[in-house]
This record gives sequence, structure tokens and C-alpha cells, in this order.
Amino acid sequence: MITPIAYQEALSHIDAPSSFAALRQTALRKFLQAGLPDSYQEDWRYISLEHLERMPLHAPLAPSGVLPALEDYPGALLAYQDDRLVWQDTTLPASVLGTLTDAIGGGAATWSPSAFGTIAGSGSVGSSLTQLNAALWREGACLRVPAGERLRQPVFLRFAAAEADAMLYPRVFINMAVGSDAILVEHFLGDPGIEYWQNPVTEINLEAGARLTHLRIIEDSNLATHTGLSAVNLDQDSSYRALNLKLGGLVARHQLDLTLTGAGAEARLDGVFIADGRCSTEQHLRIVHQAPHGKSRTLYRGLADGRGRGVFDARVEVRAHADGSDAQQSSRNLLLSPHAEIDAKPQLEIYADDVKCSHGATVGSLDEDALFYLRSRGIDGDNARQLLLQAFIGEALGLLDDTGLRDWLMPRLLACIPRSHPKESRP
Amino acid sequence: MLQIRNLHVSVADKSILKGIDLTINAGEVHAIMGPNGSGKSTLAQVLAGREGYQISAGSVQYLERDLLPLTPEERARAGIFLAFQYPLEIPGVANVQLLRTALNSQRRARGEAEMDAIDFLEYVKDKLVLLGMDDSFLYRSVNEGFSGGEKKRNEILQMAVLEPRLAILDETDSGLDIDALHVVAQGVNSLRRPERAIILVTHYQRLLNLIVPDQVHVLAGGRIVRSGGSELAEVLEHKGYAWLGDEAEFMETHL
Repeated sequence: MITPIAYQEALSHIDAPSSFAALRQTALRKFLQAGLPDSYQEDWRYISLEHLERMPLHAPLAPSGVLPALEDYPGALLAYQDDRLVWQDTTLPASVLGTLTDAIGGGAATWSPSAFGTIAGSGSVGSSLTQLNAALWREGACLRVPAGERLRQPVFLRFAAAEADAMLYPRVFINMAVGSDAILVEHFLGDPGIEYWQNPVTEINLEAGARLTHLRIIEDSNLATHTGLSAVNLDQDSSYRALNLKLGGLVARHQLDLTLTGAGAEARLDGVFIADGRCSTEQHLRIVHQAPHGKSRTLYRGLADGRGRGVFDARVEVRAHADGSDAQQSSRNLLLSPHAEIDAKPQLEIYADDVKCSHGATVGSLDEDALFYLRSRGIDGDNARQLLLQAFIGEALGLLDDTGLRDWLMPRLLACIPRSHPKESRP
Repeated sequence: MLQIRNLHVSVADKSILKGIDLTINAGEVHAIMGPNGSGKSTLAQVLAGREGYQISAGSVQYLERDLLPLTPEERARAGIFLAFQYPLEIPGVANVQLLRTALNSQRRARGEAEMDAIDFLEYVKDKLVLLGMDDSFLYRSVNEGFSGGEKKRNEILQMAVLEPRLAILDETDSGLDIDALHVVAQGVNSLRRPERAIILVTHYQRLLNLIVPDQVHVLAGGRIVRSGGSELAEVLEHKGYAWLGDEAEFMETHL
């Protein structure tokens, strides 16, 4: 296994912010007690992190100083490489968007850290990885949208890996003050062909009536491991809409913990995951309706090809007194090869009366009749298949139109749709 | 244009077509009639290249080439069109997207320039009018939520857009009320051309009052048991298929 020394060594290189030193020590101690999650834990039954134990993982060394080639980001941008800010392009004031260390270092006048660490801390299974992030995060982003303000442009956070065998712990804190409105894009990626481990934690707090639209894109290298957490709190009448895309990574897991703490809050959680080659990917959603008249909608589409494996695991909990809750889940999945596998596990736990809840999950294969129908019109097998797959995942991509990011995203998404195997294009 | 010789087809070792011979020339309309289970739809599907059929004997020549080794898309590009008995619903693919992708795939294969979105809309406008469809049909998902009649009209719209050399209409009349039947028949009639052949697969004679065929073939027990002019359809309408029973049985036993 990875010796505790590797983690302690990593911690010894982190000095800022000094006020967090004790918190980091505590978090590391908790992580070391629990260790990496293993398959005895229900939430980790399918995915294995054993390979991490065999890797010479270490904290990233000093930055190379070479600015990575950046994609075009239509909005404000903070770009990180190996857990260091390497580029920013934003006209937003530092009090709204900046690095996490600046926000914390700015002192009590601009920063009320009461929520920091508490949203992600609220009890998800497998939280030893969250502790590890709390101990070892080096840099991150902080977005605080003031009350009543609406950001005109999306905010992009780019977390890239460039160093092989690095362990990376991006950390993001978002506070949407009363009635504010913003679009956030988190983009995780890495140099092709290198192994590394990203273990990001993003905490999001929506105050009353706030609205956030959140795109989260895992586009890590095809050898990378990604274990990410989004933890979201929704106060009264707030609205959180997310599109979670899993396009890259060898082992990629996303945990989304969402709590509707205020009455009348609304969450819409869309997602697409693609697992091909030998990829495995898991999406774990925990949605807790604590207050009355909350609404949650979950719509995920999964594709698995080759020997890919996917898991969709969503649990909706409607607590006592959360009357008038409305929770719907849909998970549809396609297997494109006989060796691919997808497990869909929608669950409902209801402790309130007067609720409207439903879930549906399917795992199937591409409709051969529809494929023949398109081919009989002169469309070749590969294109016919692409049309059907695009239509299939398209059902989960409605948010792209609302955010104006369809043109930005679709080329990267389409590039990830598995192509057909040559033998299939013949009758 | 099309020569079918001694075609034997089976599905999962069950013999369906037991020696079909059929010749169709450009400009002709042929009706293939027959009782349920006689193999009419199998013949239509085999011509369009549907997988899952074993062709145990015989040959199909289309425009002087061997049709059977071609993929469904190659056949479509060579001008073969099948109007489906049960058109598929494809959620998330807009009708206009299917039509334009299909047309451009075929144009590309023929070495012609692709049609851009604007030219295509212009091109498809008259075809919509022909089928009594309005623009909204273009932007709906393919056949999703269409009524039975709308689905069949949509098939003929595809035919009108793709302008095939050989169109095979598989029970395009089934499930249509009388008004829809007239619209579809009118659409098909307006697509009759000297260089185009049409095969109408149907169970009933009523379509053939509206689209008058040059020849009628009766398929029973996997064989064509009788061929004739359009008057044969009327005889069938009056007598049903039963009077052919003896003949079919005879051929079954002795040939």
C-alpha cells in the first residue's frame, strides 16, 4: 500500500493558508485511520482503487513554468495545472472570483469560512477521500456571487494534470448569495497517456432564491483515476441544475451529494457517462429532501463499449416532514459490446407522506431495427449508429441550450462517442 | 431492372421463400398479393438487405449487378427504397435530419454535391405539399408520436425526397383510413416515372383501385402461384385467396 509517509510528505510541502494547518493534520489523521475505500464498502463494490497502491504517487513537483495550450473558453477562466494556478482571464473582482488561498488569506472581512468544509463533510460514504482532499488541497477556486447579482458570462475552472504519477486535490468553494445567478463549468483533464490521480472536492452553497447551472466535465487522460465529489446545499426556493459528463479517465467516479435544506428548492441533475476500452466509471448520487415542496429530477444516459463498465447509483431520501416533495429519476443505458456492463441502481427512501416519487432504469442494446431503417435510407452503418447514439445521449443535454455552450461542448462530446467495430458495418 | 431467379430464403432454418421468379422492368408497377404468412414481407425485406435471412439458393440481379452481396446502404444508394410496413420511431433524430443525411449520403455516393440546409428546405417543400404535410413534420422526431396514417405518409415523403429507381412499398395501405389511403396513393402515382419501378406489397385489393398495377402476382406458400394483369386483383377481391388453395397445395406437393 501507499505508505502514510507519502501523504505526510505531501502535506509537509503545503504551507498555506497557515490557519488551516491544524485542520489539515486532523483530516490527514482521519484519512490514515480509514485508508482508501475498498470493495467491502457498498458504495465501492464495483470500482477498485487498488492500482493506486502500486503507483509511485507523489505530490506534484515545482511547476515547469510552461503555460499549457489552452482551449478556447467563452467566459471567465481560472486555469490550474498540477494544483497550481497558471493562468487567469477574468474581469470579475477578486471578491467574486479568485483562488481559494487568496480568499482565505484575505481575512475575515471578505471571507466567512463557516461553510467551508462543512458541506462536503456532511457524511457521504467513502468520505476518507474527502478527508484526504481537506488535508492535501494546495490550491483551488472560490466563487462568491453577491446577492441579487447575475454573472453575464460562464465561469470556467480548468484543472489539468501534466505530471505523471501526481496526486492532485483541486478544491472549489462556491457561494451563491440570495437571489444570485451564475453558470459554472468545471473541466478536469490531463496530458494524454500519463497516469495520475485527481481527487477534487467542490462545495456549493445556494442561498435563498439563488440559481446555479453547473457543467462538470471529466475529460482526464485515458490512464487517469478520478474520484470527485460535488456537495451541494440548497436553501429555500433555490435552483441547482447540473450536467455531469464522464468522457475520459480509466477509473472515474463522481459522487454528488445534494441536500434540499430549504422549502421549495429545485434540483435538476443530468448526466452522460461513456465507458469504453477498459474504463470503469461510477456515478453516485445522494439526494436528500429535508424540506417540504422540494423538487429533484435526475436524468442520466450511459454508454458502455469494449470491456467498459458503468454504474449509475442514485438514492433519493425524502425525510419526514418533507411533504409535497417531488422526485423523479431516469437512467437509460446502452451496451455496445457483449463484454460491456452497466449496473443501474435507482433507490427511493421515503419517510414523508404526500410525496410524488418515481424512478426508471433500463439497460439495453442499440435497436437493430432502427439501425436497419436508417441504413435502408442510404446512411452507412457507422453514421447510422452515431445518429442513434447522439439522439440517445441528446436527451440528457438540454442544459447546453440554456447555457449557450452547445457549440463549445459538442465537438468534444461527439469525439468520445464510440465508433463501430469494422465487422459490424457489414451485413 | 430487377430479375429474381429461383430465390430460396429461410429464417432460423424455416423455409419462407421457396423459389421466387420475378422480372420487373423500368416504369412498371407490380403488385404482390397473398395471404398472411405467404412470404410477401420477407421478399421485401430481403430485397432491401435486412440481416437475419439465409439465402439458400437463387439470385437477384438489379441494374445488371448482383444485389445480394450489397449492404442495405449500398442498395439504397443504388436506388432501392423500402417503405416499411411498420416505420420505426427514432426519438431525438429530427425528420429533417434523417431526410437530409440520407439524401446527402446518396448524393455523395453518386459523386454529386451535398445539399446545404437552405437548398434542402427548398427542395423538400413541394414534396411536403404532395403528401399533405406541413413544415412541422420536418422538426418532429422521426415518426415519434405520429399516427398510423402520418407514419405511412412520412414513408412516401422519404421516397419522394430520395427519388429511388426501385421502390418497394410494404403494406403501405395497412392501417390507413380511406382519406389517408387516397393521399398516399396520389403521392405514389405522382412518383410514377418511366425510369422508376414500383413493387406494391399488399394484402388487399383496395390500394390497387387507386394505384393501378401493370402486373399482379399472387404469393402463397413461398411461391408465386399466379401472375396476371390488374384484373387478377379483382378476382382475388371477390373470391379471396382460398380458391388458390388447391393450386398452392398442388405446387407444394408436386414441385
